[in-house]
Amino acid sequence: MVREGVKRGGSGRTFLLISLLPAILILGGFILLFFWGFYQSLTDMRFGRASVDFEGFGNYARLFGRGRFWDSVSTTTIYAFTAVACEAVLGLAIAKLFNTRTLLAKWCRPVILLPLVLPPLSVALMWTTMMNPETGVLNYFLSFIGINNFGWISKADTAMFAVVFIDVWTFTPFFVLIIFAGLRGISPEIIEAGRMNGAKAWGLFLKIELPMVLPYIILAALFRLIDSLNQFDIIFGTTQGGPGNATNVLSISAYFTAFQNLQFGRGAAIMIVNWFIVLISALVMVKLWRYTRKRVS
Amino acid sequence: MLKGKLTSFVLNFLIVAVVFVMAFPIVWIVMNSFKEAADINAYPPVFRFDPTLENYKVLFDIADAEATSYGTLKVEFFKPVINSVIISAGAVLLSLIAGVPAGYALARFNFRGKEDLAFFILGFRFAPVLLVIIPMFQFFQAIGLYDSYFGMIWVYQLITLPMIIWLCRSYVEDIPVEIEEAAAICGAKRPQIMLQVVLPLLRPGLVGAALLVFLLAWHNFALGLILTAEKTPVTVALLKLLNPGISFYPVVSAGLVISMIVPIALIILGQRHLERGLTFGALK
Repeated sequence: MVREGVKRGGSGRTFLLISLLPAILILGGFILLFFWGFYQSLTDMRFGRASVDFEGFGNYARLFGRGRFWDSVSTTTIYAFTAVACEAVLGLAIAKLFNTRTLLAKWCRPVILLPLVLPPLSVALMWTTMMNPETGVLNYFLSFIGINNFGWISKADTAMFAVVFIDVWTFTPFFVLIIFAGLRGISPEIIEAGRMNGAKAWGLFLKIELPMVLPYIILAALFRLIDSLNQFDIIFGTTQGGPGNATNVLSISAYFTAFQNLQFGRGAAIMIVNWFIVLISALVMVKLWRYTRKRVS
Repeated sequence: MLKGKLTSFVLNFLIVAVVFVMAFPIVWIVMNSFKEAADINAYPPVFRFDPTLENYKVLFDIADAEATSYGTLKVEFFKPVINSVIISAGAVLLSLIAGVPAGYALARFNFRGKEDLAFFILGFRFAPVLLVIIPMFQFFQAIGLYDSYFGMIWVYQLITLPMIIWLCRSYVEDIPVEIEEAAAICGAKRPQIMLQVVLPLLRPGLVGAALLVFLLAWHNFALGLILTAEKTPVTVALLKLLNPGISFYPVVSAGLVISMIVPIALIILGQRHLERGLTFGALK
């Protein structure tokens, strides 16, 4: 077979090796750093101090004994899961809206992609200027509906809402893009068949469309959940973990532990815990995705 | 009939509302960047004003000494823009050199553990960047790569290389194998096929991929924050603009506009490739 010939030429093996090697070397270097980071988390390493003692899981034990650490764990999960849930619902609604045959839908589609291409840190700073409690334009709009001096990122009880709001504004378009592709993939015959059987618009949506786009929604949620659990830019650009402890997610806490208190070992330990949460959430989402995809086919 | 018109009106209205929410903050920040300090801090916010270029002049340090409302305060924003361009373009170039052959190999060869390798590469998309930066910081200090273009271009591979490999693989898979088989029958060797047959076909896709990955590199903040002091990218320089303690919103707005113009220009150039790239891995 010709195909075999192309796939397994005599020089094929060398060629394969040479083409993969540079990429593997570069990425492999990062893996080594990752393991080194894990090793650091088992030591009392501090920046600028020569002596380093191996102390096993001491960093972890100390972290687990602190209330502040558990606050960060719950802040991280609350931030990520609330943001992703809002994005999924809004993303579905907007994708449905832009999938209608309305004239404006076609013209305006590029606009909704806009937030996705801006640097997240710029987005965070942009909202910071708009969220100023005294002179911000957002509170000006809110004053029309009778809400005055909303705190946004400056008060502990509204800061979480504000950063989740920014995450939702920025990344809802990601859901829209993916769900849109899912909706386009449903063949018109299936919808038509449903309509013949007397299904109403809502019935069609709940019984046919929703189950068919569900795998897409979960896939988008998987990607976003991982990113949101690791989110650093948006929070660093707005609250830097404050006010007080209100938005102190694990990655922010690790940054200040490592680069302000210079406790590299403990900072690395916090990131390992963060990574573990990401890993478990991702595995659950992948399971869920496989399940929904199997049910559709 | 009346019901149809009503639905259409409601739908159009909702679309306008969504577009307003998405576009207003950006329009507002552009407006702010042309306002004077007094107009920005005014309440209620000013929607009509006399535009001024002062903020941009301060930003790029081209105003005459003490001719602005900020007196002698110096801002250096031109260098960060150049830094970001050098680092991002360098990272994209290195990723193309290392990533295109890898993407091709993953698309066209069958070998043991291929899917594992592909999945492993995709896994970098989810790497907690901070976990790598903490050990990297010491490493960079030790070998003198801290605050260097070369070091930054190297760590940016963490973001750009997996993306280039993944996109390149999907683009190669779109090219029919038969073309390569025909070339093989004519006696062309594998490297020749790749350079003379596949690469030209791949070019439009690679241009799109390069634009998109440049965008991602431009977005990055955490790596520059921790691993540079002088060679800071735009995103880190923006944050530093907030620091002087005085009300600096007008100049920050101008900086924000600069940091956003580049990505927006890029998506206009690479619109066709954007959707595949932005959904990296999720959709093919």
